[in-house]
Amino acid sequence: MANLLNPILVNKPTKPASQAVLPALTFSVDGKVKPLDYKGTLLPSKIFGSPKEYMHDLKQDVLNIGKAAKGQANDYELGRLNDVAMKLGALGLASYLFIKNPLKLSKAMEFVGLGTFFGGMALWPKLTIQAPLRARTGVDIHQKYIDSQGRKKMLHQDPQYDLTDLYSRKDLDMMGQKLKVDENLPDRDNFIKQRAKKTAIQGNTLWMMSAFSTPLISAVACNALEKPVGNLIEKAEMIASSAKLEKGSGFIESLKNSRAEKAIEKFLVKNLGKPMDDKLASELATKLGASLNSAEVTSAIKEELLSMKNSTALNKDVVLNAIKGIAPDKAAEIIANPEIAQAIESGSSVGKIASLLSQKMKGIVGKKVPKELIETSIKREMPSSVLTETVAQRVRDLNSSLASFSADRSILDRFLNARVVEQDGTYIAKQWDRVCGKLLKSLNLSSEELKALAQGSDLKDDVILKIDDLLDVKFKELVKDNARYEKIVDDLTNLINQYERQLCKVGNEEETFISVVKNKAQAMCEKAKGSLDEKGFKKIAEKIKSASGKGSVENTIITNSQERVLGAQSSFYRLLQMLDLYKQADSKGGNLRNNLRSALEAQGTTCDRDMIEKLVCACKKVINVAKTTDQIEKLGANGFGLSEKEFKAVMQVLYAPTEQTSSIKSVLVEQFGDEKARSILRGYEAYKSQFKTKVANWQNPMTPELQRRYVDAVTNSANGVERSNLVGSTVSDTIRSCANKTFNTNKWLKLFGISLAVVTAATLIIGLTFGRKSKMEKDAEKESKLNG
Amino acid sequence: MFYNLGVKNNTAWNNNSVTFGKKETSRKSVCENHDHLLVEEMDKKPISTSLKITADKLQNAFIEYPIKGFKGSKNANFYQFLQMGTVPYLLGSAAMIGVFNLARVFMDGKSAKSAAKLGNKMALGVIGYGIMKNVSKKFIEAPVKHFRGIDVNLPYDKIVHELPEKGNENNLVKHEIHKAYESVDFPRWDLFYNNEFYGNERNSYYKEISKKFGYDPDSLDYSDQKMKSKIKETVVKTRLFTTLSSYFWAASAVGVAMQEPWTKMTFNPIQRFKNLKNNISIGKVQSNDFFVVEFAKKLGKSFGEFIGVDFGKIVKNIKSKEALTKGLEKATKTQIAGRALLGTALGLTILGNFFALHDFNKDKGSKTQASTSLIDDSREKVVC
Repeated sequence: MANLLNPILVNKPTKPASQAVLPALTFSVDGKVKPLDYKGTLLPSKIFGSPKEYMHDLKQDVLNIGKAAKGQANDYELGRLNDVAMKLGALGLASYLFIKNPLKLSKAMEFVGLGTFFGGMALWPKLTIQAPLRARTGVDIHQKYIDSQGRKKMLHQDPQYDLTDLYSRKDLDMMGQKLKVDENLPDRDNFIKQRAKKTAIQGNTLWMMSAFSTPLISAVACNALEKPVGNLIEKAEMIASSAKLEKGSGFIESLKNSRAEKAIEKFLVKNLGKPMDDKLASELATKLGASLNSAEVTSAIKEELLSMKNSTALNKDVVLNAIKGIAPDKAAEIIANPEIAQAIESGSSVGKIASLLSQKMKGIVGKKVPKELIETSIKREMPSSVLTETVAQRVRDLNSSLASFSADRSILDRFLNARVVEQDGTYIAKQWDRVCGKLLKSLNLSSEELKALAQGSDLKDDVILKIDDLLDVKFKELVKDNARYEKIVDDLTNLINQYERQLCKVGNEEETFISVVKNKAQAMCEKAKGSLDEKGFKKIAEKIKSASGKGSVENTIITNSQERVLGAQSSFYRLLQMLDLYKQADSKGGNLRNNLRSALEAQGTTCDRDMIEKLVCACKKVINVAKTTDQIEKLGANGFGLSEKEFKAVMQVLYAPTEQTSSIKSVLVEQFGDEKARSILRGYEAYKSQFKTKVANWQNPMTPELQRRYVDAVTNSANGVERSNLVGSTVSDTIRSCANKTFNTNKWLKLFGISLAVVTAATLIIGLTFGRKSKMEKDAEKESKLNG
Repeated sequence: MFYNLGVKNNTAWNNNSVTFGKKETSRKSVCENHDHLLVEEMDKKPISTSLKITADKLQNAFIEYPIKGFKGSKNANFYQFLQMGTVPYLLGSAAMIGVFNLARVFMDGKSAKSAAKLGNKMALGVIGYGIMKNVSKKFIEAPVKHFRGIDVNLPYDKIVHELPEKGNENNLVKHEIHKAYESVDFPRWDLFYNNEFYGNERNSYYKEISKKFGYDPDSLDYSDQKMKSKIKETVVKTRLFTTLSSYFWAASAVGVAMQEPWTKMTFNPIQRFKNLKNNISIGKVQSNDFFVVEFAKKLGKSFGEFIGVDFGKIVKNIKSKEALTKGLEKATKTQIAGRALLGTALGLTILGNFFALHDFNKDKGSKTQASTSLIDDSREKVVC
């Protein structure tokens, strides 16, 4: 008969088997000659394998690689090899992408992607085909068995290799019952086996035809997991970076030192003896300052390198020429001084000789010549230096100080990266997403409204609604619904408080985030400065920590952190203020109009209802869209068009203490009681008061001509940056960018989520048709029953 | 493809001309239907034969085999199941490209731009993966074929006589294109005996192989017996290293596809055509307007970025001994990782070549050594 080994039908029977005459046996069976009993057994049918089983298989696969390298593997072993190689290759790729991605979340997502891909590949057939089919028909399409050689295989892998004899009585009865095979059939078992085989062929075909869904599963799963994984990484990184900052840089320092030492040593050996020209100094400076990430420090290193002169180049002629430049007449007399001559001959440093000359010249020339002047003159006269061993030693000294500094800095950088640096995944970025997400949700936007906000287009419904008008409508609706309003105020204040606790207080109550950064940055820069000063690298030290503080590494670290914290904090409060303002402006119980009237009347201006309404709109617009430039222009331009008195009234009302406005406070008092509400609102009060002093009460109102000229100057000054940070992000921008993100995510999920749902539903439905009796099978059953 | 049982030479490979779907009408003995190697076809027209095999397999994998499988046909077999494995590969790749490229069509603003950047990379990554996974196997298989004469992918046409599904049916002969060495436990040794393509003798093929292994075929009693174990060993080692290395080559291709230069390239053919037309009209046609030129440039640049090699420097210093050192001197951490990935692929390929081409059990092939312990030379025997 045809089989796998001999695919050609040999001796094809010409008559049906029942009529065929079997040849007589030509050998006698004496009881010893008989086929060996099979040793194959079915493995318990289960959807998920145990980790122990998985590890055992993995170990076996690895051993098989060794066997195959000797050319001894069999088909079974080589077949399993493909899975091992695929996983190894995928692991290699994920590791590469892990290293390539700069962000911790992206790094983690590479492995999440890998896991969901292989997980999806393994789970898809189990959950959508194997489990439902087993439940309905009793047939496990992935039923495994162990063959006589102890190899684990799939029972239904090759339909032409029939192994259904391995089924136990219990299995057959269970399948027969589920497959509804007539219990009175004379050869019932055979019918059951045939139906089981058929079901398995159908299931395996469906598996192959639907397995293309794996990338969809992986993509949807990654999308769902990105947020929790991000939160986990954020928390872990916050804890780890704090601990590291506490612990100090011991290990990293030694590691960095040895790495930096090796890298520089290689460079020095390669370039020893070469002239220290601009190119060489630039290259060396870049190498030395590589991990410091400061252009100023690198350029100071370059200058220092260019000014490094060989002490061997210091001789009597050089000093003489230098003195000639300062005191031409007395030069010969000065150089003849035995003490000076001896100092030059003994190879003293330029600094020492200059100091000695400064002392002696006072007596000879009659006036004091500064040591620095003499030192500079001598250096100028010294021939251009080459990278000698002496210079190389100086470079090594410099390198060791910079490496320690770089180690300290990397720890502080990690601490800052986890919290405030401007990139995805930091605490600020995550908290920002949380706040915006809550606010957007509270606005109850329809899908069209979300789309309009996301795309920045007008909403075309019955009438065209502009974006800012849409926000106005949505905020009005929000404050009218008390339950919704209270919830969002509660959520927002909670999140802002969390933010302040995290970035404004670290460790004990007295220690704020900024004070920690300040202390660490100061200590780190002080240490580096001390070390560099001691070794004579004053210019570089100055760039790391300067007396004035401006432009130094220390100052940059501190101010950058302060700005980020303040910028985000102001933007948070601006959102809260938007809610506060709309509640005050709400016709029911709002006191905004009264406050505006009082503010105008206090300035001696009488006002009618129209004017008040104009100012109400202006207040909303200020919070919604006003940028720093609008504030600089005192809301006189860009469509605000407020007079000075109107401006003052608006600012006074907007930035008045909460006691006077009370819309937010009343919600919090109701929720938490007076004392806690006060404590929660302390930051909000502080923000408003700061804004009022530094932005709202801008001194010297400018004429439009002056405004334009001063905008740059003001925004670029230190106070300008602070003002800009106090103004923060506009509510409109914030909500629109959040809407854009949400809209895109929803759309993406809709597109691929629905695709995946359709594929899943189709797979499940098609699976329902499997295992059923065909007409032929029904006829065969009938015939069998009739024939008895 | 339907053929009548008992048709002479009813194979698709009759007279070197592929006749898919054609029905032969002349009826002859069933005994003349037999499996046969497609060695002549592969020798004369390797590309068209391979393409035809691929097209035939794809057609079956997408249409015939799924229909049979969904019916639960008694004629469904493991070969058909394996062939259907192509379906998730191709559709899955398309889904993966779709996941990252359809998003950009529906997204807006910045997200669309960043999706477009990633989309280019992902699409190239998927295509690169597929190409390198298959092409890289040749890095070991080609030397093995050249130096050992063993074509591990040599196809043969297998005639399958199916069972009737419903009563009396015609057209029960089917063709499956297998590989002679696809099973190392049961290679189709029989197809190589008396194969005219290799010579006139029964063992011509095995003698040819024995020469490649450094034996004198005339000094071997039974070149087939001797060579079968050698061939099997070589096939196993080739399979091991092609499988292992192919996934690392594929991963390296994805690494190259993930580089920045691709983000600046336009792949949309309509847009490219518009740009070209526009540049022609203003008389400023650049080499980059042509897809192939720009693709080749970007490929070179991306490869350079992937492993941190400066080809410009190498060319500049080509005469100096330090050309390679200078070209490779600057590398970021990521580029070192890229080198490791590519190095693994390359290393496995070199190792694969060494293992597959090295005969660890080489003997001098004397007559006595040629006999295996299974065959007792002192007794009469028939070798079949």
